[in-house]
Amino acid sequence: MEAFLAGLAALADPSLLGLLVLAMLGGVLIGALPGLNATTGAALLLPFTITMEPVGAIAVLTAIYCSATFAGAITAILINTPGTSASATTCLDGFPMAQRGEAGRALGLAVVSSTIGGVLSVIVLMAAAPLLARAAYNFAPPEYFALTVFGLSMLATIGEGSPVKNLIAGAFGVMLATVGTDLMTSVERFTFGLSELRDGVGFVPVMIGVFGISELLVQASKLDVVRERIIIKAIRLPSREDYARVWRTILRSSAIGTFVGILPAEGATVASMIGYNEAKRWSTTPEEFGKGAPEGIAGSEAANNSATGGAMVPTLALGIPGSPTAAVILAGLMVHGLRPGPTMFTEQANFAFSIFWSMMFVNLLFLVVGLYGAKLFARVTLIPIQVLWPSVFIFSIVGAYALEQSMLDVWIALISGVVGFFMRRYGFSVVPLAIGLILGGMLEQRLGQSMVMLDEKWWLMLTRPLSLFFFVLTALALFGGSLWRTFFRQRQPLKSMGE
Amino acid sequence: MQNKNEIHLERWLVPAVIVVLCAGAWWITTGFDRMPPILKRGIQPSDFPQLVAGLIILLTLLMAVIDPVQVADRVARKTWISLVLMGVFALVTLIDFFLALAVFAVTLALVWGERRKPILVLVGIVVPAGVFFLFDLGFRIRFPRGVLTSLWYG
Repeated sequence: MEAFLAGLAALADPSLLGLLVLAMLGGVLIGALPGLNATTGAALLLPFTITMEPVGAIAVLTAIYCSATFAGAITAILINTPGTSASATTCLDGFPMAQRGEAGRALGLAVVSSTIGGVLSVIVLMAAAPLLARAAYNFAPPEYFALTVFGLSMLATIGEGSPVKNLIAGAFGVMLATVGTDLMTSVERFTFGLSELRDGVGFVPVMIGVFGISELLVQASKLDVVRERIIIKAIRLPSREDYARVWRTILRSSAIGTFVGILPAEGATVASMIGYNEAKRWSTTPEEFGKGAPEGIAGSEAANNSATGGAMVPTLALGIPGSPTAAVILAGLMVHGLRPGPTMFTEQANFAFSIFWSMMFVNLLFLVVGLYGAKLFARVTLIPIQVLWPSVFIFSIVGAYALEQSMLDVWIALISGVVGFFMRRYGFSVVPLAIGLILGGMLEQRLGQSMVMLDEKWWLMLTRPLSLFFFVLTALALFGGSLWRTFFRQRQPLKSMGE
Repeated sequence: MQNKNEIHLERWLVPAVIVVLCAGAWWITTGFDRMPPILKRGIQPSDFPQLVAGLIILLTLLMAVIDPVQVADRVARKTWISLVLMGVFALVTLIDFFLALAVFAVTLALVWGERRKPILVLVGIVVPAGVFFLFDLGFRIRFPRGVLTSLWYG
């Protein structure tokens, strides 16, 4: 309770409030720009936070996460191009509604649904993260190792890319994490005599490369895309009839989004897809979906925003990122010398609750900004791509350099960008690479500690109930889908025979 | 569109490159120092990288069979040019870091079809200079000395 109130009191600091307002505005701009999303934005702005106090730095990153996720709806509704992948399903009904002259209503629905989803998920975050941390407090290295393996196995189910390719990308990230001095034995690995590599490959330059620079190369092939723009006259709040129609959808999607967000590695994109599909499944008028149904917008937006709070639960309580953007925030925590995990709620509880309250504040703030500023923010889509991406490159490179003031980090960012581009071209998602890089060190450390603890008999991990539970979850994450499809395929003919 | 031979090539080239890289990494790990049993902390320094490299090779072979790499289109010409410009950027950093950024930004904008002088001035001078002063004065970051930065640093 003390930490709860201390976290709230942190918002009385005018400089933190000012930072949050700026970060929220920046996040909305980033989310509204096609090609940039919350993950890229957080990765690009992470170097700007290095001189800040940890609370301010992480609050800024979470503010960008929340507001950019919301802002993807602006371009989804007005130009039929989702600002972020999490808003892809918002296009399906938002744009048709805008085309029939109801852009303001569509944006109003998106803003209100996002706010409710975001606020509800932060409440869950405040309640669930300390409980989860308490449960994990007594985890020994074998349990942590099994949990980290489970977190990595969830990469297989990330929406973008195929399962086997996602796992390869994740394993590649883990491999990158082995570069540098081995913490257990002080042996140098893959440093090739470069002293700068002794501390390993930095998270930040790799993230700037795979999320920012690779996107520049992707955008280079989309220069001829012409987007239709809808002019909005005014934003208005949804009517009483709209609320009566969508409130169940908002609550359902908020619950779905929060739950999906809590699952390691899953994020707002998966949440919005499930939220939209469930909204359609439960609707009494499913035929209206795709033609401008208010429930379609509410289902997608409530789910994607509630996933932000959900994703922070495993990130802070276990040190396992709940989404790609949470992985960047996790990197930010590490850069600032903080150790996410169960001890955060015993040793740095005030810090954790300051972050929760900052997220709550930002979610409420973009209700105001979204309703009164969406028309203005929509204008950022007019920024020519020829201005935007050269500027993004400059920020990316300078940001990569700034953290350690090392040219090696610039080359790492550039190489990561090129590698990331070709990975995406060949169907590999870059998200697992980033998450693998972050979790790789922890994975090896926990494995080493487990081997010491279990007298080098690794199979004893399977005799520990909690470790076994996580390994079973891992097996389900890896093979459950195939088993389900096999089972489903076998059942289909039976079903048709029965009919 | 790419022709079938090129698609076929990438289907096998990508797994081959991954396997060769991992085999190379494995080979490098054989040169890592080994700890005597008394100093060993559960696993040898080479064990974990070897485990991961082996796993990647296995997954790649699986991928080549069940989910091969498929690409529909060639890499766009402007993407190749953008890649070359990144190489040019790397070379120009030898003269000056911010000169390299400015040259890259202007050339990229030109290649991507921008012809308006105010816009080119914006991306080639205003943005790099703004970012330089933001980081130099705001965050006290020292950039590598070069032809332009030395004018400021003296």
